[in-house]
Amino acid sequence: MSERVLSRRKTNSIANYMDYSLLFIVIFLLGFGLVMVYSTSSYEANLSFDGDSAWYFRKQLGATILGVAVMMVVANIPYHFWERFAVLGYVVSVIMILLIIPFGHESHGAKRWLRIFGISIQPAEIAKLGMILFLASMICTMGKKIRNRKGFYTVLAVPVPIALMLWKITSNMSSAIIVMGIAVLMLFVSCPDYKRFILLGLLTIVGAALIVFIIVKMAESGADDLNFRGARILAWLDPEAYASGKGFQTLQGLYAIGSGGILGKGLGASKQKLGFIPEAQNDMIFSIICEELGLFGAIAVILMFIMLIWRFMIIANNAPDLFGALLVVGVLGHIAIQVILNIAVVTNTIPNTGISLPFISYGGTSVMFLLIEIGLVLSVARGIRLKDL
Amino acid sequence: MSKKDNAHKTYHRNKTVTVMFLCVLIFMILIGRLVYLMVFQSEYYTQKAKELHERERTIKAARGRIIDANGEILADNRTVCTISVIHNQIEDAEEVIRVLSKELELSEEYVRKRVEKYSSIEKIKSNVDKSVGDIIRNYELAGVKVDEDYKRYYPYDSLASKVLGFTGGDNQGIIGLEVIYEEYLQGEPGTILTVTDAKGVEVSEAGEERIEPINGRDLYISLDMNIQSYATQLAIQTMETKQAESVSIIVMNPQNGELMAMVNVPEFDLNNPYTLPEGSVEGEVSEEKRQELLNAMWRNGCINDTYEPGSTFKIVTAAASLEEGVVTLQDSFSCPGYIMVGDRRIRCHKVSGHGAEDFVQATMNSCNPVFVTLGLRLGVDNYYKYFEQFGLLSKTGIDLPGEAGTIMHKKENIGQVELATISFGQSFQITPIQLAVTAASIVNGGRRVTPHFGVRAAYADGSGSQSFTYQIKENIVSKETSETMRYILEQVVENGGGKNAYIEGYRIGGKTATSQTLPRNSGKYIASFLGFAPADNPTVLAICIIKHPQGTYYGGQIAAPVIKELFENILPYLDKMDYNNKSGKNYNESHVGTEEN
Repeated sequence: MSERVLSRRKTNSIANYMDYSLLFIVIFLLGFGLVMVYSTSSYEANLSFDGDSAWYFRKQLGATILGVAVMMVVANIPYHFWERFAVLGYVVSVIMILLIIPFGHESHGAKRWLRIFGISIQPAEIAKLGMILFLASMICTMGKKIRNRKGFYTVLAVPVPIALMLWKITSNMSSAIIVMGIAVLMLFVSCPDYKRFILLGLLTIVGAALIVFIIVKMAESGADDLNFRGARILAWLDPEAYASGKGFQTLQGLYAIGSGGILGKGLGASKQKLGFIPEAQNDMIFSIICEELGLFGAIAVILMFIMLIWRFMIIANNAPDLFGALLVVGVLGHIAIQVILNIAVVTNTIPNTGISLPFISYGGTSVMFLLIEIGLVLSVARGIRLKDL
Repeated sequence: MSKKDNAHKTYHRNKTVTVMFLCVLIFMILIGRLVYLMVFQSEYYTQKAKELHERERTIKAARGRIIDANGEILADNRTVCTISVIHNQIEDAEEVIRVLSKELELSEEYVRKRVEKYSSIEKIKSNVDKSVGDIIRNYELAGVKVDEDYKRYYPYDSLASKVLGFTGGDNQGIIGLEVIYEEYLQGEPGTILTVTDAKGVEVSEAGEERIEPINGRDLYISLDMNIQSYATQLAIQTMETKQAESVSIIVMNPQNGELMAMVNVPEFDLNNPYTLPEGSVEGEVSEEKRQELLNAMWRNGCINDTYEPGSTFKIVTAAASLEEGVVTLQDSFSCPGYIMVGDRRIRCHKVSGHGAEDFVQATMNSCNPVFVTLGLRLGVDNYYKYFEQFGLLSKTGIDLPGEAGTIMHKKENIGQVELATISFGQSFQITPIQLAVTAASIVNGGRRVTPHFGVRAAYADGSGSQSFTYQIKENIVSKETSETMRYILEQVVENGGGKNAYIEGYRIGGKTATSQTLPRNSGKYIASFLGFAPADNPTVLAICIIKHPQGTYYGGQIAAPVIKELFENILPYLDKMDYNNKSGKNYNESHVGTEEN
């Protein structure tokens, strides 16, 4: 009892603790992102919006400022406050995704957006946040039950409906992968077992290899009914053979990356952003970073993300309780998977799938939700007692 | 906080650290991939990207001019403009349509269709006069592009058309000297490299890289515009009065092979080389037929076609016989009007026969039986040896494309009858230029020259001058034989069959020929005359060939007067040139007519 009082007092004494390292990294990434959004979009914006070269930049700046404000608010709310919305979050995610079927707003050939009060929102972003919250709460409630097989599979089953809906309804495979990835990572951290995860990892790799193999065989045998994703895999294997179709974006990205060289062409000097890479400020922004800032710039950006993940790890490992730790792990999973997938896609390491680079790519909803997640992490960090550090 | 809880936390922590390191590991792999792309593949992708971004526009190099012996420009370039529109740069489409249709004299619909077509660049009209191009440029219309270009231009239209040749759409030589001297004339095109965005719009900040074109070298030729024009006039006149199919005249310097004129009438207009002469086609003709007619029109008869030379070839038989020693000037012969070779009776052109005559007289009379006798005296082996020695079996090596080879019996197929007919220039075919060169070699002291037009090439500013050298084969006949031949051929003009070419005050040598074209009963003839002057030291040699004349067809009567008229005019002219040259007045570096050259 006295210990609790003491701890509370201690908590109070460091009530203003802020993980400034994390905050600095995030703000640096946001600032860098804004610079890159302006660099990549100004030429096209100038043409599309009658000379207004800062059009995308201004929108992104607005979303960022709003996001940072929201982040600060969330950071100041004790994270346990959100635990009560865990189930609601899951339900809302499902409803939002389902709402896309009748009310979805189409853009770039895919129905992924909902328009609410004039703002476009991607339900996928809500689903990711909802999943982190729901699983953290659920795993805490389960306690030791998670260690047995039933518990394991229950947790693994939770994200499946959401992931399937994201994949099938919004044809957004990357978000589905992220939702599943977040769940697996949270499960991995909360479960002492290793074997199952190694098995799961191997199964995923074998499955992916098998799919690639089948598609290549089908293409060789001349089956021309290969769907959208089949063609993507073929274009991944040989982008130059599909230069005018599915391989176009990838190839243009490779031109940008390759022509950047070690030191890059200099900030603002990209040629590929002049319409060769369509909407370079979106998913392909990393290729322009490579072109303008070279290998050094690219590695610097990756190092920033590694530092971000390192901060997440420190905060997770020092979180006052399991719920907080799991929230941070969920956010870590989300951001790490998204960065890895984005860079892997841009460098043609994996088949092309639409995925943005956190904090840097243009996109209001994405930045908003990412900053809410950072707010949560900061809120968890506030609960850290200094003696634990 | 219980111990159990701590244990809990321990593996949580370990696992979080594992996740962290897993992420770092994957990032390392991605960095490895980046290093591969940005260091090892960088050159490849940089090149690919450069190709994608840079638009290469070529700047045409001005083609070298062709300049005659007097510095007269025979082939030049004219600046013309290409007018095009760039759709998304046009501001006032109506104004553009109005101006372009007015200035270019095009229908409004035609221009409208092109202006309104959505394309990166649309050509409205090419080969527009520079003056019109300048007017359009002065309107300063946005989206209208006036590009300057060069077009080949021949100031004298049809003069020496088959010699000069013309150029095609890319300014490349199609026929004639334009083809042979392509590498000197053509120059190197320059390039403008501009950076463009994906839509092809130039990015002005990126600037442009410009590689200046190197204009072609001017070609200086030995052809003399004055001689060529005069010969052309004569040829046209002859063709009209004799209603001949064609008339060819070659004028060359027998000492060095420089050609002063080469006329093949009808000529064609070099500025409109694809226009067939009026009346040559009736109604619509197939593309193939049209091309055939064009090729016929462009054909240079002096070098592309072969014919039976007839009596002019007796020069060769005479030279071979003298060289071999089977005849002397004093040898006497008797012509009964025919000669029996084996069981064949070969007639002389004078049916009644020339009677008793010596060798000089026989040549003056162009007596067939005498030359058959000489041929038989030489024998197949010797005759063939000289045929080869004189260079008749190989091409002359003239600097014009498409020279035809000699059509001759195989040595093993030559019997007595063939030998007899060869002796007076029948049963085989050579080109007119071949005959001219062979005759030149026989009368110039035995040096077989290479006929040519090209003298040198140099850039317009005089730099990069390169003189062309041509092979000369010495001693194809001895100097003595050559001198004897000059004497005999002068006799032919002074007192013999070539007297129609005689000019008071000049020493002229020559030989006439009249040959029937195959088939023998067609009644078609080729009349020719080969003349040179001065007879003792020839500096000019000319040959005139009249194909299929109507009426009188004897070379001595219709071809010799042509050469006479030609010589009457050009000999004083050449003397004057020679005088100017010797007096140190440097009228031209590539003059004609002196032995020192």
